[in-house]
Amino acid sequence: MLLLVGLHTGAGSGAEGSREPSGPENPPVVIGQPEEQIDPALVRRAQRGDAWSLDALVRALEPYLGRICGAIALQAGDDALQDTMIAIIRNLGSLRDPLAVRGWARRIAVREAVRTARGGRVVPVDPEQLMAQLPASRDDLSGVEVRSVLEQLMPEQRAVLVLRHLDDIGEQEMANLLGVARGTVKSRLSRARAVFREQWSS
Amino acid sequence: MVLVSWPVARLDRIARLRALASGFQGGALHEAVLDAPFDDAWAWLSDLERTVPDFDEDVARLRIIRREPHPEGGERLRIHTRNTAIVLWMPTVLDAHLASGWCWMATRPLLYVIGMAAEPEGDRTRFAHFEGLAFQAPRLLQPVLRPVLAASRWRHDRHVPRDLAAIERHFRSD
Repeated sequence: MLLLVGLHTGAGSGAEGSREPSGPENPPVVIGQPEEQIDPALVRRAQRGDAWSLDALVRALEPYLGRICGAIALQAGDDALQDTMIAIIRNLGSLRDPLAVRGWARRIAVREAVRTARGGRVVPVDPEQLMAQLPASRDDLSGVEVRSVLEQLMPEQRAVLVLRHLDDIGEQEMANLLGVARGTVKSRLSRARAVFREQWSS
Repeated sequence: MVLVSWPVARLDRIARLRALASGFQGGALHEAVLDAPFDDAWAWLSDLERTVPDFDEDVARLRIIRREPHPEGGERLRIHTRNTAIVLWMPTVLDAHLASGWCWMATRPLLYVIGMAAEPEGDRTRFAHFEGLAFQAPRLLQPVLRPVLAASRWRHDRHVPRDLAAIERHFRSD
């Protein structure tokens, strides 16, 4: 099932006047579909320091990483996205497989967004526990203002939410992304899910 | 179908230039807040033929010899410059992407890169300027090239602020 998402500009950039208008009047963006593959030749040229390819790579990654940073870091999303792009460009030489650039960039974005949202501190969490707090299906999102719910969650919880809905990432990959071990506590999962649903619908 | 509002972070033009600049060890980026509204500041800054020789002591003359639409918006330019004695009067050919609040230029062949970005900041304009060598040292050549890039960085950490000071003077005198 497709999830249609209306764009909201991340707050706190200080340069709103120069931007394209955003918000509910913009056409919604379809997510839950495969994103366009980034040309590996472009990535290789960028790795060699080609100025035009670096610019093109940043432009190609921005929409996807902007959704991750915006959903996790909220008001600090713009700062998180800038730090993410800087980390990507500085470390691009260490990327061995250019075809894997999107997943590699996603890992950096999650790390930077959680760090920024926590004011520089990274706190490992149990992704099983966080996954439990998600709605059972995307249908549960109907009619809900996501941002108001996101603001009540911890950054790591927001990371799980956005990764689940952007890429449908599995629990093990989520555990790897967040740098924590995978565990299972069924009773806590169902109780936490119930708590989240109550919060979501309130 | 489910309709949901989802917060999205944006990379403004200054942030984009900061990110790109971080990829070039032989360059320097400096910023200033210009005493002019964005539209006025960018109207002057983007008139490259007139303004670049005015604020950059390395450039004696700049001519745009080709203009065409750029797929990302704005224009793609081909530029010829004649430089001053400081850089041995070298003629240079550059490609540029010029758009509102954004200018990204690189020499042909790709040895040197120049970036300018602007964003409104209240009724003034935040301006970022980057110049530097446009290559990254491959791992094997890093020991050899590191001193070259460090020297370039040192030179541009002095050159770029001089450009910025000249630009700031223009808007102070208006």
